[in-house]
Amino acid sequence: MSTAIASPAEAPAPTVSEVISHLQKKVSASRLNAFLQCRLKFFFRYVQGLTKPKTAALHVGTAVHSVLKAWNKARWKTQPLSLRQLHNEFTKAWKDTEGEPVEWAEGEEADEQATGWRLIETYIRESNISPDTKPDAVEVPVETDLHQHGLPTLIGVLDLVQAGKIIDYKTAGQTPNTERVAHANEVQTSIYAVLYRDAKAKREIGIELHHLVKTRNPKLVITEIPPMSDQQQTRLFHLIESYINGLDMRDFVPSPGLQCVSCEFFNECRRWA
Amino acid sequence: MAAQKAGELYQLLQTAVDGEIQHVGWMPNSETYGMNNRPSSNGHPSNGSNGNGNGNHRAAASAPNNGDRWNMTDGQRGLVLRVINENNLDKNEVEGMAQQLFGVGVKELDKMQASQLIEELLEKVGKKPRGQRRWSRQPTRT
Repeated sequence: MSTAIASPAEAPAPTVSEVISHLQKKVSASRLNAFLQCRLKFFFRYVQGLTKPKTAALHVGTAVHSVLKAWNKARWKTQPLSLRQLHNEFTKAWKDTEGEPVEWAEGEEADEQATGWRLIETYIRESNISPDTKPDAVEVPVETDLHQHGLPTLIGVLDLVQAGKIIDYKTAGQTPNTERVAHANEVQTSIYAVLYRDAKAKREIGIELHHLVKTRNPKLVITEIPPMSDQQQTRLFHLIESYINGLDMRDFVPSPGLQCVSCEFFNECRRWA
Repeated sequence: MAAQKAGELYQLLQTAVDGEIQHVGWMPNSETYGMNNRPSSNGHPSNGSNGNGNGNHRAAASAPNNGDRWNMTDGQRGLVLRVINENNLDKNEVEGMAQQLFGVGVKELDKMQASQLIEELLEKVGKKPRGQRRWSRQPTRT
């Protein structure tokens, strides 16, 4: 497979082998999920480093996530934010596109911005988390060396840890199905459980997925997941092993399916042979 | 004379035996023995409290503050000290920060608390916290 892309950067760009070597040393939930979803998509995103314009949905999710982080951080410092302060945080986060411009359709931005703020209001109202409750950790990066299992280092950032529970935020266009969402997010939740157990030297009380649903009347759906089982940990380790082996073999074949409709690398994929 | 000689020899023997009894040699830690490296269902050792971060060994996570012993990983300890030294931060101020945010001193922070403290220190000195860093999608070359 041809992988040469000219780099305008002054420093020499890393070779494919160097990038793959780096990707094999540290594994995150997003990398592993991308690889498992479609190896060619993983290749375009993480090995070739192709970038695409930020979607409206991603921008809304990022802004909402940023405000919830500020809300939790303030609770952690026992200086809770008022609704007005939260709105100021949201306005600031909305303007920050992180250097990646968003492609808006006519009139779309105002609608999406209103939706984003309604999601935050909904969360504050429906999560039943008191502003005075102090979290254990907020947006904390953690890593675990799994060499004793013959595996690489696992890395991740935990959105929120509260009362021994790992909480992860998601925005969604549709109401999630409780059983399916637990399965669909198992790689991520298992990775977070492994990271938590190593960092705290104890098992998590449980894991919660907090879905903010962008329906006409936004709602919060909390999915409670029990602590990771031994079987789930074994499954995770097998998946990581498969990831390492796949990268070793440069096995980046596509996985054509229904999910391709929304893939940002659809055109690149069609040219692959 | 013979009785006196026998008494001396007995005393010498007793001293030697006492010395051996007092020097017990290696003994397993009664709190942790048998708890680490238990094989899991897949034959791998389980991911218990003996894991470490950044490829560095770490003291027992639940160990009390014990002199110069730090609960965080060696890598985290090095990073905390480097941020303090390179930015001329007041160690007492950092200690106070840990007490205020976590209710314990810096040396007693566990791995997750240490990571959170490092985020706070980096933010304090104007560096982008690690949690906000993204994988650089630099194009590759052959």
